Amino acid sequence: MNTATHASAADIAVERHQSVRARGRLARLWASNAPGYLFLLPWLLGFFGLTLGPALVSLYLSFTDFDLIRAPQWTGAANYVRIATADPKFAAAMQVTLTYVVLSVPFKLTFALLVAIALNRGVKGLTFYRAIFYLPSLLGGSVAIAVLWRQLFAGDGLVNAALSQFGIEGPSWISHPNYSIYTLVALSVWQFGSPMIIFLAGLRQIPTDMYEAASLDGASKFRQFYKITLPLLTPVIFFNAVVQTIDAFKAFTPAFIISGGTGGPINSTLFYTLYLYQEAFGNFRMGYASALAWILVVIIAIFTAFSFLTSRYWVHYDD
Amino acid sequence: MRGTFGRAFQQEEEQVMLRVSRRNFIAGGAAFLSLSTTGAGGGTSFAADTRLRLLWWGSQARADRTNKVSQLFQTKNAGTTVNGEFLGWTDYWPRLATQVAGRNAPDIIQMDYRYIVEYAQRGALAPLESYMPAKLQIDDFDKTQIDGGSVNGHFYGVSLGANAATTVLNVSAFEQAGVPLPTQATTWEEFARMGAEITKAGKRKGMYGIADGSVVEPLLENWLRQRGKALYTAEGKIAFDHNDASEWFEMWSKFRQAGACVPPDVQALDKNDIETNTVSLARSAAAFAHSNQFVGYQAINKDKLGLTNHPRIAADSKGGHYRKPSMFFSVSAQSKAIDQAVAYINFFIKDPEAALVLGVERGIPESAATREVIASKLDAQGKVALDYVTGLGDLAGALPPPPPAGAGEAELALRNVAEQVGFGQLSAADGGKLLAEEISRIVSRG
Repeated sequence: MNTATHASAADIAVERHQSVRARGRLARLWASNAPGYLFLLPWLLGFFGLTLGPALVSLYLSFTDFDLIRAPQWTGAANYVRIATADPKFAAAMQVTLTYVVLSVPFKLTFALLVAIALNRGVKGLTFYRAIFYLPSLLGGSVAIAVLWRQLFAGDGLVNAALSQFGIEGPSWISHPNYSIYTLVALSVWQFGSPMIIFLAGLRQIPTDMYEAASLDGASKFRQFYKITLPLLTPVIFFNAVVQTIDAFKAFTPAFIISGGTGGPINSTLFYTLYLYQEAFGNFRMGYASALAWILVVIIAIFTAFSFLTSRYWVHYDD
Repeated sequence: MRGTFGRAFQQEEEQVMLRVSRRNFIAGGAAFLSLSTTGAGGGTSFAADTRLRLLWWGSQARADRTNKVSQLFQTKNAGTTVNGEFLGWTDYWPRLATQVAGRNAPDIIQMDYRYIVEYAQRGALAPLESYMPAKLQIDDFDKTQIDGGSVNGHFYGVSLGANAATTVLNVSAFEQAGVPLPTQATTWEEFARMGAEITKAGKRKGMYGIADGSVVEPLLENWLRQRGKALYTAEGKIAFDHNDASEWFEMWSKFRQAGACVPPDVQALDKNDIETNTVSLARSAAAFAHSNQFVGYQAINKDKLGLTNHPRIAADSKGGHYRKPSMFFSVSAQSKAIDQAVAYINFFIKDPEAALVLGVERGIPESAATREVIASKLDAQGKVALDYVTGLGDLAGALPPPPPAGAGEAELALRNVAEQVGFGQLSAADGGKLLAEEISRIVSRG
């Protein structure tokens, strides 16, 4: 018994020693990381206070009839049921958004890649051109550019003035239901700067000796592009495609400015986010708009998951 | 070489990231600031010092006038400060809605006839009838204007002036085309003929006769009222049927074919504001607006403009127009200083000095005494607007009941269906059916 007590006392002593050491380690860890967290604090506060918190509240509100002023009443899945069964504008907005995504992302990426390849050919004054081509992306999301676009593509805008030189009398592109979405796609493609910069970096990482070897073997430039550049660039293409797709789903400003918030003419520019905004702030249906927002989150998640699942069949990682 | 570039690229990326994080940081800082200001606003209510917050929509010209009146009020009411803030129409409503939802509503809210029911029914506005007649001296207001600010028997909105729907004319363009200006007697048929003549005269490149009014809700309302109908009943139901709507679209289809009005893609440029109206864009010689906006229209148009009523559907038809409160001041139900807010509103509508500053920019003042003060001192555009609203005669009828909740959505539906007809995607008959259906559905949902 005595020995047992003795042993357990020793155990406790050891344990205490260990726990003190563990606490010491934790304290040291904390001491070394605290400044890091301190510097992260603004971001952490922003993330929890301005992103995660509101997102969770909106999830709750999507099951209510919240109208911004009166206290929300729980309505179960009513909002979701209505979206799925009795909302023609949801379908219209979804169609416009999908059209926009499907058109703008491939065109933008292709354009960005072409410009990147051109710039990669050792142009003089590369930094200058890179900055110039990147400029639209910096301005792109701004209200001013959407206003400018309106001026360009309006009935008496610059585009029609140019066309009239060739005897073509164009319609008012931005306010004609058959063309308005394409002016928005064009606006998006014009903002090719950030994928271009990333492509350029990707191109620079491809070892030149591969090309040298290929041309020694008599491979044409096209074949080199097809067999070397593209496969080695797939991770970058993949990254750009995912980021741009998510961005395209979330596009709001151009449609809001160009259509004056209506999504017109005839819902032809009714982006999903614009419809969501109309429901929330125009029609005071914050609960319904929250449900719309969460459906968009799910749709984007599905698209992203699908990209990642298919990526193993076409994305080539060099390892 | 590649290495240098890689480094340069990395640097650039870092710079981009730095910029983003700095922006986040600023956003965070701003959030802190706004938190602390709301804290201060809620916490410090010294008995001697009241701070009133005032929110309105409108142009810089309106802001200058409003701020001047606020200063006048402060000099005459020591201990009360008025902090004003203004936005454009489109941005105003989201801002107001979020502030009300965040329990941070301004004390005095500029309110529109279209939204007063929505806000009053949701309990966001303070009823003001207990302040009448001593503290809120509106006994010489038209009864219809007081009714216009009332919802369910309570008084929520003090009219800041009357206006009426109007047809804006580019007088110079009419003269250039050799077409006489429309008068109070002009019918739709005659008006369309004038429009076609202006288009055909082709004196100005790209300019047509009249705007495509099929999308303009007040114009449809005016036309319906002349037929003895209306947009909405007092119970908030649709007050016209698909036959009315079909005929409306049919009429505009004829105008379109005759070249009397602008094509649909030009009309679709109109974002329902002064700047993008087809008259301001020099795409039509006539278009549809509100009388108090005339000051604003003339300010951005080089040509001489004029005002006239909407055409009659027949020589003897009448009552399409009405004088409506162009906007209200309401008091937030959340306000901690309702007494002072009411005092400010009363000053705004009654004080002679304030009246001279304000003019008719918010509409024709309701109080007869105030009207007298300003009548002799108005500028040319103010006088045109005043004469127009007071001289409507038999063209004006009774004020319709306030539009029901959902009216904003219904207006968008009119625009949408009218565009489908305009662009030839729907026949006028089908368009009429669709519009009646949509509006019934929207207002029944509320």
